[in-house]
Parts: sequence; C-alpha cells; structure tokens
Amino acid sequence: MSDDYLFELHRRRFLMGTVATITAGILSSGRIADAYAADFPSKNIKVYIPTRQGGGADLNLQLVTGVWKKLLKINFEPVFQPGAAGRVAYEQYMGKASSDGHELLFGNMGPEVLNWVVKKPTFPLDAYRYFFRVDSDPSIIYISRRSKFKTIEDIVAAGKKETLNFATSRIAHPATIGVLALGKATGAKFNPIPFSGGRNTRNAVATGEVPFGALPSASIVIQQKNFKALALFDDKNVLGGKIDNAPLVNAKFGTKLPPLVSARAFAVKAETIQKYPDRMKILEDTLRKVVATEEYKQAVIKAKAPWELISPGGQKECAEYVKNILAIGEEYGDLLRGASAKEAAKKKKKKG
Amino acid sequence: MEFDPRIFIELFAETIQYWWVIVPSIVLGLVVGAIPGFSAANTIIMLLPLAIVLPIDVGFVAMIAIYCSSRMGAGIPAILVNIPGTAGAAATPLDGYPMTQQGRGQQALAISFTSSVLGGLITTVVALIAMPWLAEVAFYLHSVEMIVVMLFGISLIATIATGDTLKGLTAGFFGLMIGAIGADVVYEMPRGSMGFLELYDGIPLIPALVGLFAISEAFIVIDRDTILTERGRAAVLHSTGWAPTIEGVRETLKRWWHVVWTSIIGLFIGIIPGAGAAIASFVAYQQSKTYSKTPELYGTGHIEGLIAPEAANNGVTSGTLVPLLILGIPGGATAAIMLVVLQYHNVTMGTDLFVNNPKLAYLPFTAMAVTYFLMIFTIPLLARYMSHVTVVRTVYMAPVVIAFTLVGAFVSRDYIFDMYLALAFGVIGYIARRTGYHVAAILIGVILGPLLETYFIRALKMSQGDISVLFSSTLGNILWVCLFLNLAIPIWFERRNGRRKVRSA
Repeated sequence: MSDDYLFELHRRRFLMGTVATITAGILSSGRIADAYAADFPSKNIKVYIPTRQGGGADLNLQLVTGVWKKLLKINFEPVFQPGAAGRVAYEQYMGKASSDGHELLFGNMGPEVLNWVVKKPTFPLDAYRYFFRVDSDPSIIYISRRSKFKTIEDIVAAGKKETLNFATSRIAHPATIGVLALGKATGAKFNPIPFSGGRNTRNAVATGEVPFGALPSASIVIQQKNFKALALFDDKNVLGGKIDNAPLVNAKFGTKLPPLVSARAFAVKAETIQKYPDRMKILEDTLRKVVATEEYKQAVIKAKAPWELISPGGQKECAEYVKNILAIGEEYGDLLRGASAKEAAKKKKKKG
Repeated sequence: MEFDPRIFIELFAETIQYWWVIVPSIVLGLVVGAIPGFSAANTIIMLLPLAIVLPIDVGFVAMIAIYCSSRMGAGIPAILVNIPGTAGAAATPLDGYPMTQQGRGQQALAISFTSSVLGGLITTVVALIAMPWLAEVAFYLHSVEMIVVMLFGISLIATIATGDTLKGLTAGFFGLMIGAIGADVVYEMPRGSMGFLELYDGIPLIPALVGLFAISEAFIVIDRDTILTERGRAAVLHSTGWAPTIEGVRETLKRWWHVVWTSIIGLFIGIIPGAGAAIASFVAYQQSKTYSKTPELYGTGHIEGLIAPEAANNGVTSGTLVPLLILGIPGGATAAIMLVVLQYHNVTMGTDLFVNNPKLAYLPFTAMAVTYFLMIFTIPLLARYMSHVTVVRTVYMAPVVIAFTLVGAFVSRDYIFDMYLALAFGVIGYIARRTGYHVAAILIGVILGPLLETYFIRALKMSQGDISVLFSSTLGNILWVCLFLNLAIPIWFERRNGRRKVRSA
C-alpha cells in the first residue's frame, strides 16, 4: 500500500465526508432553523404597511423599528401598499407573505377592521391576528380656531336645529361612528363627509367647508394652534392640555359609548402563531422591550408624536379591541354602508 | 404681517449664499423630474431623514429647490419623447412633442424652461407681496366652486373635439368612463374594478399617462427611422449650435404677457388645497386656446400651447406654499412633507411666524426665487444637449422608452400590475391614434374625471342630495357665468367671423 494510495483514500473519505456533511446540513438546516428560536430572525423582516410612505404609520413604524432592529440584529424592509382603505395590503399580505415570522403587517386596527364590516375580505377574518399594539389614539371632535362654535354643546345644539356636516377621514372610521353615536344619543343630526385622509380632513375644517371634524387626537395635537378639540371618545383624557382638556363625551352627555380609538399594531398570519410560538415570543418580548426603552421614548418625543398615546398591548388586548370594534361596526353597519339613519333604524327593527 | 421689501432684498442676498445646497438640489430635481413616475414628493420623502437632521434653513432651501426644479425637469421627457412623467406635465406634450417631431426640440425645451423659470419667478414675487390676501382664496373655493374649476379643464375636451366633434367627444367620454373605475368617494364601494384590488382606488395616473402617450407613441414610431418627421430631421441636421435655444428664449420673452397670466392661473389653483398641477396645466391650456387668435394651431406645435401648461404648473409651486405658511394648510403632497419637517423643528405656521421669525417665513419664497434664478443658467445647456435625444434611431429609442416608462409605471406604487396596465393603455392609445381619436381627450377624462366626481359627490353629500347646491354660493355662481361665457364667446366669435367672411365674399 503506497502512501499515495493512502492519501487517495483519505482524500476520497474527506471529500465524501464533506459532501455528506454539507448535504445533511442543507437538508436539515430548514428544520433546525425552525426548531430553534435562537436562529430567529435569520433574515431581514419585511413589514407590509397599508398606507403611503411618509404618513403617520410610516413614522410610527420607523420609530419602533429604529430600536427594534438593534435588539433583533436584523433590518426591516417596509413594503408600502396603500389603496382600497388598506384592503390591498391585507390581501397581498395574506396571499403572498410567508408565515415563518419574517413577514409582518403594521396596520391601524380601527379603520382597517371596520373595513371588513363594510365589505368582507377574501380571507377569513381569523386568518390573521394582531399581536402587538403600539399606541391607542382616541377619536376627537375638533373645530377650527376661527369657528363660531366654542363648545361641544354648541355643536350638539346646532345639530338639533339643522343637520350639521362634519369632516371625517372615511366613513368606516371609529371617529365617524363616534359622532354618529353622539347624534343618536342626543337627537342631533350629523352628516359625515369623507375627505380621504387626515390632511384633507383637517383642511376641510380649517377652510370652513364644514363646521367641525372628527379624527384621531394625534392629528390635531400636532396642529393645536389651528384647531381646538371639543370632545373625546374615550374613558380618560391622557392628553390633557394638549387637546384643550377636551371633555369626555360619555361624561358630558351620559352616553355609554365604548372607547373609539385608532390603534396601530403589528399583525401576523394566525398560522405563524400556531406553528411558531417561540418566534412569536421573541417578537412580542422584544417589542415590549422596545417601547420600554428611553431611546424609543426620546425618538417619539422628538418626532412630536404624543408619548401619552403609546399604549403597548399583546395578543389578548388586540383580540379584545378587534372584537369590540367589529361589534360597534356591526351596530352601525347600515350607516357605514350608506343607508340613511331612517333606513338603518327600519332595518334594525326588522332584524330585531 | 406687512410685506417689507428690505427684508426680502436682504434675504435674497442671504439665500444666494445657499448656492451650495441649491445647485445640487436643482440637479437632483431635474433628474427625478425627468424620470417618469418620480416626483418631488417621492424624492423629499426619501430624503426626509436628511432634511430633518440638517439645520432648518438648509433643509427647507433644499426641499424648495428640488420642488421647483423637478417641475421643470418633468417637461424634458414630455417634450422630447412624449412621456409626461407626472400628471402636472400631462398637457406639455400636446404642443411640445409636435415641435420635437418638427425638429424644433431644442427650441421647445428652451421655451419650456424659460416659461417655467419666468412663471415660477413671477408667481413667487406675486405670492410674496399678496400672501395674506391670497391665503384667503382657500376659504372661498370649496367643493361647489371646484366643480366649476374642473369643468373649465374638462371643457378642453370640447375644444380638442373641434376638428372631429364625434371622435373628440367619444374619446373624452371614454376617458371619463375609465376615470370612473374604482371605489366611490363616500362609501368606498368598488365600481368597475373587475375584481382587481389594484384598481380599487381607481386607475393609477402614471401608468395611464405613460401608456397613452409614451408607449402608444413608441408603437407608432417604430416603423420610422427616428421620431422626427423628414422635415424635422432635416431641420435638426441643419440647426446651428445655440440658435434654436436663443430663438426659444426670444419667442417666450415676446409672449411675456401669456406667461404672466397663465402662471397666475397656476398660482390660484395651487393655493386651493387638494387641487394640483394637473388641473392647473389643463385649465391654463384650455384658457390659452380659448382666447388665442390662432386656436387652430394648438396641438400642432404651437408655442403658446407649450408656454401655458409649463408656466401654470410652475405657478402651482408658489401657490401651494401660501396656505402652508399662512394657515398651516399644505396645498399639496410636497407641501405636506415640508410641514412635517417644519413641525419637527418646532416651527409653528401662521401669521405669528411672520412676526416672530420673518426670515424663516419668507425664506421659501426667496429660496424659490434664487432657485429659478440659478435655473436660468441651466436653460442653454439642457436645451441644446438634451435635444440630441431626438436623433436617436427608433430601433433603440422605442425599447428604451418602453422600458423606462414601464419602470416609471412600477415605481409610483411598486405594483407589477401597473406595468401591465401601462401596456394596456399603450395599446388603447395606439388604437386611438391609428383610428383618429385624440389621446389627450381620453387622458383629460382619466385625470380630471375622478376629481370632478369627488367634488360633485361631496357637494351632493353635503347638501343631502339637493342638486341646487351647485348654485348655492356667490363665487360659484360667478364662476358658472364665466364658464358659460368662456364656452359661448369663442362660438359667437367664430359665427361672427363666418358671417363677415360670407359678406365679404
């Protein structure tokens, strides 16, 4: 047996061993990665956003991911898919995104869930779940500083005399429901005029096209000089002076409306939650850490977003929110779909 | 907040010192403006992190320079290769591209740039002096009044249809029908979207624009050697150096009054929140044609037909800043992004800004003036050298145009679907051209139709279905009378001239 032969044998064994190891590695790598949460996330996380780049959701996401990426040691890739009041992004996400936890959706639970009341999506509603709420932004009624109205009572009194138009971002929105519910409770008549987006809704009130508007409070806090908040659809006013110490609608009028808030939250496919509880734990735990950091707080304050509205919540809180908003949506479903108040009452009577 | 000319002069001198920001921003703006699908708003969003960390004055000046120069840049592909990359440039190729085909591309670019710069400068000065009064315009032009403003633009369909009324109106109505695709503005119920989620919000403008104009044109010119006509080719080959550029500048300066009043149209439309450069350029074109002594020349490479939309869409830039600075109301998407940056730096908009920090309050206008001033120096170079694109053979040009436009169709929403849509519009445009239907009439319907519908439905919703709301405001009624006169006077003139001709014969 020559040395050459031995060398040949060793080389063959070595090569075979290497090939076998690599093959086994390739074959098992997926499973190993699946099995051990320590490998998660193994690549950048893609986030679907149902609104335009440069909007509130974009800013909100940037603030969170600015800190989150350091904890997860990966980068985030936002995918902006505006359109159809958020429907496009949800449909694309449910249709195309992988369910391994590397693709998330960052949406606004309020208006986007109400959308499903107006028109059901192509996927079952329980096929995706919000798992982490970032903020909770109550709807408010606001006027221009130039307005002849001064208080919410003035608005209600005027609405009792004649139908008052009000600006809203879209019909299927918690703020719209709030004003319609207030009208129902007080006997005032309010007519929602959708202006497609917060900017146009503010402009409509600022230019006097409509006497008042309804939007999430953060949109008004940033322009406090031009607008005055008159009332709040929540059970507490965490913003205080930032929204002119606006009174709570329930306290003022004795109504029992649930908090009508918009809430930005991360969502995943339900399949991800079932298949990868360990990965979900990583995502949720790190997100909780993010909102608890001083760095995140300072970033929010610097971006002029109200820190008081940051209200982290997990799967349970999100599920409860979705259940409540769907129930409210169903209650006002006919109005959201375009029936007049009279027709809606008739339909309800018939159903009842 | 009285206008103090001393502050303006002092600021103008100070703003020139920002040349190191303005010059690269102009270059960037010209490039992104010339790329279909890109816009100043997209670019500023991308540069937002930078704009925020820069000192407020530097960031603001950079944003303004990009905003102004991108408007001018959008005219380049619209004139040379029939690609209006943004809705604001949609009326530019109506006369700009025929000029290019005739071998007058260099002259057309010079006219476009000169009217852009002059229109921008004039409206900047007007806005600066009349700002407090102009800001009030936003309080009077609501949905009802905007319906009439839209009708001014849409009546351009009727003007275009004068050559062949049936075909012109058919094309216009076809455009309006396409424009009606998408969810209704009130209850967001989809109409005519054929199950495509991507059409739920209506037909996206960029794919429609580039498809109808550029791709259909690429299909048409492919059987020719260049996009130029025979005479055009000869003219280009015999053109001497800077002469066409000088001629273009001279022709524009000769029509200074035309630049003034069409840019003022843009200024007023820019002030109205939500209205934009597309409306301004179509309304300006329509008005220009209506009151022209030679309306029959429009669409054939007429200088005034190119001046009007270019001066108007640059007038819009100054207009959008007026409500932003005085009222904190951004007139358009770009102004809204500027507002974000200003708020980040704790700048509060409104009259207080002019009292407490007049230099910052006037800075956007002086920055605009300096930008337009510096852009003057780009006119000769851009006009002369960019126009060489026209001699590229169509076997190379057509595929490049199609590829570029498809990318442009994609970037505005990041949907592959939009590329197919652009191709579909290309086929529609091709058939329309081959059968003598005017693609501009289709496009006006596609662009202005949804806007008209939005204002109309909103007005009806506010009046709870009472149609008389259309005549419920004084300003609205004045505008209705103007619209009626605007449509009737040319017909009356035409008939009178006809009778005179008969008598003299």
